[in-house]
Amino acid sequence: MKNKILMFWFIVAVVIVSTILIFVKPTKLGLDLVGGSRLVLEAETTDTIAKITPDVMSRLQFAIEQRVNKLGVAETVVQQVGDKRLLIEIPNVTDLKEAKAFIGETAQLEFKKEGKASDGSPIWVSTGLTGRDLAKSTLSTDATGQWVVSLEFNSEGAKKFADLTKALVGQQMAIFFDGELQSAPRVNEAIYGGKAQISGGESGFAYDEAERMVNLLNAGALPVPAKIVEENTVGPTLGADSIAKSKKAGIIGLSAVMIFMIVFYHVPGLIADIALIIYSIILFALFKTIPVTLTLAGIAGFILSIGMAVDANILIFERTKEELRAGRNLFTAINSGFDRAFTSIFDSNMTTIITCTILYLLGTSVVKGFALTLVIGVLVSMFSAITVTKNFMHLIFGTGELKHPALFGLRKDEIGQSYEATETKREKARFGILD
Amino acid sequence: MINTGRKHLVHIVKFRWWWMALTCILLVPGIIAMIYSSVTYSNHAPMKVGIDYTGGTILQYGLEQKLENSDVAKTRQTLEKAGIENPYIQILNVNNTQQKNTKSNINSIISIRTKFIDKDSNTTDVITEQLQKDYTNPELISVSSVGPTMGKELFKNSLIAVTLAFLGIVAYLSFRFRFDYALAAILGVLHDVIFVCGVFSILGLLYNVQIDGLFITAILTVIGFSVHDTIVVFDRIRENLRYYSKKMSFGEIVDASVNQTLTRSINTSLTTLITLLALYFFGGVTTKDFVLAMILGIAIGTYSSIFFCSMLVDFWNDKKQVKAVV
Repeated sequence: MKNKILMFWFIVAVVIVSTILIFVKPTKLGLDLVGGSRLVLEAETTDTIAKITPDVMSRLQFAIEQRVNKLGVAETVVQQVGDKRLLIEIPNVTDLKEAKAFIGETAQLEFKKEGKASDGSPIWVSTGLTGRDLAKSTLSTDATGQWVVSLEFNSEGAKKFADLTKALVGQQMAIFFDGELQSAPRVNEAIYGGKAQISGGESGFAYDEAERMVNLLNAGALPVPAKIVEENTVGPTLGADSIAKSKKAGIIGLSAVMIFMIVFYHVPGLIADIALIIYSIILFALFKTIPVTLTLAGIAGFILSIGMAVDANILIFERTKEELRAGRNLFTAINSGFDRAFTSIFDSNMTTIITCTILYLLGTSVVKGFALTLVIGVLVSMFSAITVTKNFMHLIFGTGELKHPALFGLRKDEIGQSYEATETKREKARFGILD
Repeated sequence: MINTGRKHLVHIVKFRWWWMALTCILLVPGIIAMIYSSVTYSNHAPMKVGIDYTGGTILQYGLEQKLENSDVAKTRQTLEKAGIENPYIQILNVNNTQQKNTKSNINSIISIRTKFIDKDSNTTDVITEQLQKDYTNPELISVSSVGPTMGKELFKNSLIAVTLAFLGIVAYLSFRFRFDYALAAILGVLHDVIFVCGVFSILGLLYNVQIDGLFITAILTVIGFSVHDTIVVFDRIRENLRYYSKKMSFGEIVDASVNQTLTRSINTSLTTLITLLALYFFGGVTTKDFVLAMILGIAIGTYSSIFFCSMLVDFWNDKKQVKAVV
């Protein structure tokens, strides 16, 4: 009995700690609940970079991170998945289209000079001076009040630029941004000092256009182009709606299960309900501590795990009832009920864990969330349904004969009318059966 | 004799052929639908597959007004005129009873599925413009887009996941029980998976229900749950065999074990179904099909673990005994 009381206080302590954790730690909600955007970018090879190496990927990741940070949104994620993909998560983004264009742009700045193609027609050829040679870029206006993008080269770039302009005096020099010709001024004299301006050609730049180019140039060009291969965006209204609905569904589901348990199993049902509440508290605290990002699929996994947690108790109570019908005293019936149900609970939960592990390893991020919550749920339910329920059952019912079978939802005339349970000596010792 | 305290409610051994027939009745319509779909659909899939597997873009707009089904045709026409190829339009009515709490006044969602919209394309703007003509203040509430290569990869991964789950379960059960139990459990799982896929194939034909990445999750959960259920019955058979194998025939033990676990099987499924039904009726629109797949799977999983798997184990055992006598 002393052990039982110690165990009881242990459970109380766990619940208190969990409750505190729930209040202290913030809940991490997934993008489908708060609203936001999830993008998967795939790096593409170019003529010059024929293979996506880990080095290219880390440079791409760095460049993308720079840009995502420029969006000024908290808690963004840029993560490599697989060999050539990047996962980007941007919560609470307001203008998604803008953000997408901003992230996906290669931002390749190139200076080109006049040349001739093999058939003699004039084309622009690369000069080797690119956005990589820039130190920084700023937004300014020129003498006529037009928006221009001012460029400042680094020392190497300044030298290249000086050499280039020197060689091109009297000719046109073209500035390409992402393959698009921005302007092609005539070079009047060699330019020293490493400064240049891009005007928007004849029509000039709109403010937004110039500002975006400046931001992109400062964030750095992508080493290789990247395309969006997967996108998932949820507006904040839909997210809020999903949270409210999941809460409602969870509360209704949980209450219905609790009522069912009391109607069907009476006092043990009530104990199972308390264990279920403890289960929910521990689980929620764990979610916050690990932390597990709660998504819609994750919530579904959580609600499903409630069903599985109750299952363990149902198995145990059915066994205990059988033992009681066989005329066992309470202590023995409860013990053997738990012991005999255990193999079922263990084996069945193991298979759930196996499938969830596979889901976690192979699934997409949505599926991962579901699998993780379900596995944690199953593990916690093994504790709550077995340890917590058993402890409370012993403390409440104690030992001796069952005086009021109705407490278990049994009829008096059922007792002792059932099968003769057969045990080996060892089992008898374990269940505490005295012949 | 094992006395379960009451008369047997179900007779597995006696009505063996009936249970087999019932299994066929449950599975055949779905199988026919799947075959019909594979023949008629252009991509030869047994079910209608969503953008997760084919690639494509789905735009969802929230509207304040309630939409009628006739709006689908109207919107399709508008969009086709604007040059959008084969838009697939669906209307979801949101039963928004807690409007005041959520501050959202969206009463219906119009969902438009198109080919994969590239980042350089202005299709999204075109669609938004067109919708603004037909409805007041459509709000773009969600975009999901899957590139065509990505879709194929997802499909491959899903197949690998399901196969591995099967193998993992067979291995575990062979280790804990016996290989023939594992085989029966897996056939039970297959039975459940075929049933759920069959129903979704029918739903696809009738109501255009599409399967997505979440559907595979639902299927894997159903696999886990179905085995979970079957194990409880098998565990009881294993236990009873230990005590009664000399006094009773295998068939009698199977019957008794199924009856002993019957209340548990039904109650467990009921509690899980209660939570799932709550999710189905009160949860978000986006997970409805996912939850439906699980509801179907858990209901059929309970049936198969009681009737189908135990029948198989008994059936094989009979065959073995006949061989032994011969």
